[in-house]
Amino acid sequence: MIAVKPCIEADLLIVGGGIGGLMAAISAAKSGCTNVVVMEKMHARRSGSGATGNDHFNCYIPSYHGDDIRPVFQQTMQSLIGSGKEPSLMYKFLKKSFELVQMWDEWGVNMRPTGQWECKGHALPGKPRAFLKYDGSEQKKVLVREAKKLGVHFYNHHPVVELARMDGRIAGALAVDISTPVPQFQPVRAKTVLLATGLTHRLYLTAPTPAYMFNTGHCPNCAGGQGLGWRVGARMVNMELPYTHAGPKYFARCGKATWIGVYRYMDGTPVGPFTDHSNIDYGDVTSDIWNSVFEDVMAKGTGPAFMDCSDASDKDLEYMRWAMKGEGLTSLLNYMADAGIDPKQHAVEFMRYEPILHGRGLDVSDEGETSVPGLFAAGDMVGNGGCGIALAAYLGWEGGHAAALQAAEHSFRPAEDCPNIKARMELLSSFLEREDGADWKDANMALQQIMSDYAPAGPRKVRSERLLQTGLIYVRQLRENAMKQLKVTCSHTLMRAAEVLDLMDCGEALLAAALARKETRGNHIRADFPFTNPLLGDQFLTVGLESNGEVTTKWRPIRQAQMD
Amino acid sequence: MPPVIDHEKCIGCGTCADICNSDIFVFDRKVDKTPVVKFPEECWHCESCVLDCPSGAITLRLPLSYSLMHIDASLLHSSQTPCSASSKEARS
Repeated sequence: MIAVKPCIEADLLIVGGGIGGLMAAISAAKSGCTNVVVMEKMHARRSGSGATGNDHFNCYIPSYHGDDIRPVFQQTMQSLIGSGKEPSLMYKFLKKSFELVQMWDEWGVNMRPTGQWECKGHALPGKPRAFLKYDGSEQKKVLVREAKKLGVHFYNHHPVVELARMDGRIAGALAVDISTPVPQFQPVRAKTVLLATGLTHRLYLTAPTPAYMFNTGHCPNCAGGQGLGWRVGARMVNMELPYTHAGPKYFARCGKATWIGVYRYMDGTPVGPFTDHSNIDYGDVTSDIWNSVFEDVMAKGTGPAFMDCSDASDKDLEYMRWAMKGEGLTSLLNYMADAGIDPKQHAVEFMRYEPILHGRGLDVSDEGETSVPGLFAAGDMVGNGGCGIALAAYLGWEGGHAAALQAAEHSFRPAEDCPNIKARMELLSSFLEREDGADWKDANMALQQIMSDYAPAGPRKVRSERLLQTGLIYVRQLRENAMKQLKVTCSHTLMRAAEVLDLMDCGEALLAAALARKETRGNHIRADFPFTNPLLGDQFLTVGLESNGEVTTKWRPIRQAQMD
Repeated sequence: MPPVIDHEKCIGCGTCADICNSDIFVFDRKVDKTPVVKFPEECWHCESCVLDCPSGAITLRLPLSYSLMHIDASLLHSSQTPCSASSKEARS
């Protein structure tokens, strides 16, 4: 059995030290919570998709946009961030967004690099631009510093592998100390828990390089965190609706709106209708609107599509490189410089990346609480609350505050005695004790194969009841086999094995939800239901694991925005 | 593959191993003077290690399969396509 360290206590345990987790920590501490613990799988200073920077913060700034929030709200809801999300939550977020921006500005994140509030990119020509252009290269260091100033306790290299629920309410968690090659369990008693593990990659075969599963647009170590909530009964939403990102081919990187250019076919014709020349304020929004564009043009034979920045001025290209640095894309910039790829002279092909759980996952209230009392969630792992930096900041802030208030009303309970905590300890220990067995990568790739074949993203690939039911059987078989066969050798591989188990739970949730959505919507193409049902347009489909092991799906009304 | 450590420049502080976004380094101070890239295929190529290395000892090398596909932009603004160019060359 892996050694067990003495249990620690936390008024609020935050799982994941990304933007959502760090904002929750600061918010809770400012709300009077004196024992806030952040457990981060890697190191909070450089973990997650915001590790080296970001550059677009969705927000409404009255002095910039004018007194009417509604046009900005409309653009937000039509954007990649807001599409398919809960209007009531999104409206509350947008009203609060400038306050968050000002906080970051005050703490030292460079929110107005030109000295002014400026919104650029991810925008339709002539419409309000809802994304503040900022320099996020120092954001993680700044937020960690602010949290530490307030006395927040950090446990880096401590992935959480299981949550504990007692008498219906969250009670704590089990982490693993992987700071040394020999792992040790770290049980935690917690009055409240906030999940902020980021989006989920590595569920589908990696589109640019199928043999390299860590070549992903966002952080590939964000993988399966929704599964932690799933196993204690938290309901999930939007799991069945595929989200795909796009970017350069074959080095997967986000930041397509930072390129100042036009998507063009080989003959120079623009791919989309939005611009025929480079535009520093709007960019080319085509791939935001036409999600599968790069795959579609290849399938039709009219592609490939290239990002052409050659008509941009030297000043604009200098700005683009600066913005890429602020977004954390120094590796892309350095690679291009070394390879002699100059945006002024070369057009880079773009492609569609694989489906990810980005803004797919936990169903939360407008204050960030899940269906499990005392369990909150923030950031890209939330299914109904939008995604991206600004939403992570908002839900972290709101959830941290609400959790702090709840923590004051509850006491500690022996989470380490929960049967599922003990069972997870035994399971993970068996992986380390096994003399021979399967590598975690085998299990991860097996899952990717199944998900890619039986629950693919449209528009050309389809789902159906037969395909999805078969996929569900296969994922469950795989999980059973993995539990019997996985072998690990050290802390690192134990962490990966635990991630793969989380990923399998995410796969099960996705397949079950996709079965229940008996219509075609977005990239969820049901061959057996080839239409979009208007009656389902104002409802969310949730999926959850009941205490008896049964997976259930339910429809609930979407909460509409209450405009002032 | 991924981070390449210049062992002459490395001062053995272990920052890269501590902050790595993907936990790909191992640094056993009892055995090694500098960190070892033990899980190179799990690198995200985020460059955190390059950015935080106090002695500038780390560079990043992308796998060939990650190469950016690109063409000369002038081809998009002329009647000549790469195919027609190559076929003309073949005829000449």
